[in-house]
Amino acid sequence: MDAFVIAQMTVSGALMGLVYALIAYGFQLTYATSKSINFGQGELVMLSAFFSLTLINTGLPYWLVVPGGLLFGVVLGLFVERAAVRLALEQKSEGWILLTIIFGLFGFSAAENIWGRDDRPFPTPISSDPLQIFGVGITPLEISVAIGVFAVMGLIELFKRKTLLGKAFEAVAADRDAAELMGISATRTIMLSYGLSGMVAAMAGILVSPITTVGPTMASALILKAFAVAVVAGLDSGFGVVLIGLFLGALESLASFYIGSGWREAPGLVLLILALAVRPNGVFGKASIRKV
Amino acid sequence: MLKRFLLIRGAELVAFALLSTIPLLTSNSYALGLLTLLAIYGILLIGLDVTVGYLGQVNLAHAAFLGLGAYAAGLSVSLLGFGMFSALAAGLAAGLIFGGLLAFPALRLDGPQFALATLSFSALSVTTLNELESLTGGAQGLSVSRPAVLGHALNAPGFYWLCLILLALVWMAMRNLLASQWGRAFEALRDSPIATDAMGVGTYRHKVAAFALGSALGGLAGGLYAFNFQYLQPNSFVYELMVILLLGIVLGGRKSLWGAFVGASLIVLLPNLLSNRFLFQVFSAIGLLLALAAGGRGLLKKTTPPFQALAPIVAMGLLVVGGSLVQNTEDWRKGIFALMLFSVVVGLPEGLMGFAARYLAKLFRIAPPSLPPPAPLEEVLAARTADGAPLLELRELKRYFGGVKAVDGLDMTVRAGSIHGLIGPNGSGKSTAVNVISGLYAPTAGELRLRGSALPQGSLFQVARVGVARTFQNLQLFGELPALDNVMVALKGVYRSPLPLILLGLARDEERRAQAQALALLDLLGLKDQARTPAKDLTYGAQRFLEIARALARKPDLLILDEPAAGLAHPDVSKLVEIIKRIHQRGITIILIEHHMDVVSELCDVVTVLDGGKVIAEGAAAEVKRDPKVIEAYLGLANEAAPDAAPLPAH
Amino acid sequence: MLLVENLHAGYGTSEVLVGASLEVQPGTLVALIGANGAGKTTTMRAVSGMLKPTRGRVLLDGKAVQGLDASRIARLGLAHAPEGRKVFGPLSVEDNLLLGAYSRLPAFFGFRAKAAAELERVYELFPRLRERRQQAAGTLSGGEQQMLAIGRALMAKPKVMLLDEPSMGLAPVIVQEVFNTIRRLKEAGITLLLVEQFAKSALEVADYAYVMERGRIAVAGTPAELGQNERVLAAYLG
Repeated sequence: MDAFVIAQMTVSGALMGLVYALIAYGFQLTYATSKSINFGQGELVMLSAFFSLTLINTGLPYWLVVPGGLLFGVVLGLFVERAAVRLALEQKSEGWILLTIIFGLFGFSAAENIWGRDDRPFPTPISSDPLQIFGVGITPLEISVAIGVFAVMGLIELFKRKTLLGKAFEAVAADRDAAELMGISATRTIMLSYGLSGMVAAMAGILVSPITTVGPTMASALILKAFAVAVVAGLDSGFGVVLIGLFLGALESLASFYIGSGWREAPGLVLLILALAVRPNGVFGKASIRKV
Repeated sequence: MLKRFLLIRGAELVAFALLSTIPLLTSNSYALGLLTLLAIYGILLIGLDVTVGYLGQVNLAHAAFLGLGAYAAGLSVSLLGFGMFSALAAGLAAGLIFGGLLAFPALRLDGPQFALATLSFSALSVTTLNELESLTGGAQGLSVSRPAVLGHALNAPGFYWLCLILLALVWMAMRNLLASQWGRAFEALRDSPIATDAMGVGTYRHKVAAFALGSALGGLAGGLYAFNFQYLQPNSFVYELMVILLLGIVLGGRKSLWGAFVGASLIVLLPNLLSNRFLFQVFSAIGLLLALAAGGRGLLKKTTPPFQALAPIVAMGLLVVGGSLVQNTEDWRKGIFALMLFSVVVGLPEGLMGFAARYLAKLFRIAPPSLPPPAPLEEVLAARTADGAPLLELRELKRYFGGVKAVDGLDMTVRAGSIHGLIGPNGSGKSTAVNVISGLYAPTAGELRLRGSALPQGSLFQVARVGVARTFQNLQLFGELPALDNVMVALKGVYRSPLPLILLGLARDEERRAQAQALALLDLLGLKDQARTPAKDLTYGAQRFLEIARALARKPDLLILDEPAAGLAHPDVSKLVEIIKRIHQRGITIILIEHHMDVVSELCDVVTVLDGGKVIAEGAAAEVKRDPKVIEAYLGLANEAAPDAAPLPAH
Repeated sequence: MLLVENLHAGYGTSEVLVGASLEVQPGTLVALIGANGAGKTTTMRAVSGMLKPTRGRVLLDGKAVQGLDASRIARLGLAHAPEGRKVFGPLSVEDNLLLGAYSRLPAFFGFRAKAAAELERVYELFPRLRERRQQAAGTLSGGEQQMLAIGRALMAKPKVMLLDEPSMGLAPVIVQEVFNTIRRLKEAGITLLLVEQFAKSALEVADYAYVMERGRIAVAGTPAELGQNERVLAAYLG
């Protein structure tokens, strides 16, 4: 077997895996502050991607489309928090699981009807001509994915560490009651986390759409992998998601090549179930203490 | 008694009778098809209700079990030539096996991770069914032939009756199961998994059993599904179906057999609802009116938060408006389900049956079945000899939380038959020590011995099984369950009937005996008259006593009481002291954490005083109160100006 | 500065506070003592908003704050160093302190400069915290965490500071240090409401004290008066 082909598969796959990692990173943001995640996040990615496509089709230049799409993601994220999550959190129930699933379902239906059921190409000014790096062909588009992922994660980490609001974010994640006593509104912080998570999801959509096309079904394709990455790494594992994402992406690519394209999904799902069986808190996660 | 029987069983019998006569009254094959599907979905939703209703978890794998059961049953006919019953058994087995396999990893998880695990399993199943083309025909689909029953081929009415009979059997079996200790255990572990484990009822194993049961029913429904449509493709069992099933459960009502049935009816009628525009608009208008009524009422009475009152109105409003604007309601199917499900989850979380049950209860006022007389206390708490030998020994026990050394080298021996007090200022490590002993935490270091052998560590369940019971400083009652059930869940040594007998409803004697024993304990604590009151509705004092009754149901050798007098009014404190004395008379060893010094003085044979995670004094209550180290620990500074009288430590 | 009138509050079915009233004059240290389960911590939580009172009023500098969110009350000038300290474990000591001043600092940039003066004052008061300024708060010892919790409350430059059982779980030597710190806070003119289980130590620093019993105030007075009161002596001082 040609080593270069394997390397090619691995690298391309791993770069896709970064997108899963990015979405998983978004999950961590909301989980940290509220112990909740958006089960409809895949639809959020997809809707942001479609919206960005619409912006492009209106003739807006790419460098304006990106912030437009990101803003849309923020708005959707805030909507999810208000409509699907807040009530359940206030009642200390897990109703948000079902409610965010419902959000996703509605989003899917809306997308189907507004933009149609077919997959559409997503134009981008970034080139898809492969560059040869160490004998492996990588397109600038793929490189842009990596740059985009690390840029977003980096910016958010910077925000968390260097700004006071970011520290407040960490405080709410550590001890919500104590944070309130400092004058930090937990509700506002949770809103922030959902807004950021939406932005992250939108970024993932914008990055991946030129490669995979945009369509209603892209939601489910991405989301299960992102879940797998989030859970396997651990919902509080920080950058562990990047490692797991790279790993999963590569694994998928190889599985698809060697076993069959229909089995592409399998590694992620199997990995998820295994990880949950063996290390429910994730490979890099931290266990928690129960207080009685 | 008869009235109760007639009302509850009567309704079921009438419904069953009506349904079975349908094929005789009409030859409309479409209607018959719908009813057959109703029976199948009824079984399916009863299975789903076990995890969603009773365990309270969002289970997204159920549609997969339907599919796996369907394929297993279908393939068993085409590949192995099975007859109807064997094929259905194959479907049930497929559900049971895959459900069991998934249950082991999935049920160690809570809420969101559980949902994710089930979701992944579901997706993986569909992928596998698609890919194993040689076996399943993949996306092309699989033709299934309906097998014969005992040699006779089944026509449509025949198959319908088969489904109906199976539904009836499943209904009865589930009713019996949920009325037994199993049903109680399911509800308990939803209310307080910690207390469930601490009362020796394994949370994990019950969850696995519940899940496997639900998935087995899903597999059985799958077999019927396969023989109903006689054609299968993997795409039928995807996410969208799962959402519809959840809609059925939530709308019909959780934790209710009738709810599952009502939900199934709705699911079956849904496609018709969507294809007929007029019907849809009527339906959504009704929904909007209901939402306005309920929401308006809630807002005026201030019983519901504004969002909860308004959101369903908005959602149903969207349905009404959308219904008149869109070209084709079919296209918006998923969106319509989403809006309906949203309205119900937010506005009517108890579902239609839950809602109806409240009104029906008011209308019909059925007296609950009578309870047996309480058993004699000697039967429940057999007296044991208190020989004073060491029962519990702690050596160098340590428990650290990061930088905080909550327990830092604790040596303590508790003698059989004694009441051993454990006191100390706030934060001295008393609760942590007791949490380590009872298994909530594993120790950081040190030895624990019960009757000379090593005490299980870090597992509430295992410690409970070796004869240690406890109460909690912050109440951990099973709030939704009546007081009697709280005690019954914990009862030891009564539930011996194997599962098949329970399903057949033949374990009633056992239930009566359990009730009698539980009543004896409630009587001891003065709660006999409140046996049927939900625990969350009891007064605070009663709740505290209930926790003690529940712990006693374990018939323990060692009973740990963690601040039982906290927040109790004076007369209740005296009552508590009397009760503890009576428990002591039965020979049960007690560890008592308390701040009320008068209680400690009156009851304890020995008192260990902790401060900063270490023992600073030990001895008889009177001695310990005079110990200068103890006084200093409680008051903060050496008390040079103490008057002559024996000083009482502050708390 | 702080006025509590007929406060009722509880958890679920049990009502712990059944009409507690007290008053803290500016610049004074008021102690709230009483047996465990009497309702002292519940009072603190009802005042700071961690718990919503069912009846009664809380007036902070003349403004009614009962029923408001805890974060709102904190922003109005009430700092609560809660029972059990509750420091932000994964964050550094310095970050914890900075967050204490959250309500009066800019959210994004420039906060370090604005907080510098107050931060310096806290480090002077607690040199050990300066030594450990970059260390994660969860790794500090119990006593150091208590210092941090008090420092964090100070950073807010509050109108009133609530100290809930600062001595809990600490070795006697450390408890001494804590009370010395409290004395210095008092000398600096900070308005303090102190809940303590160590009645004697609390009375030694207090200007005025309330004794709580079963959810209401049983006795109140200056430490001198209470020292003579038979009932207090018998129950709390031996």
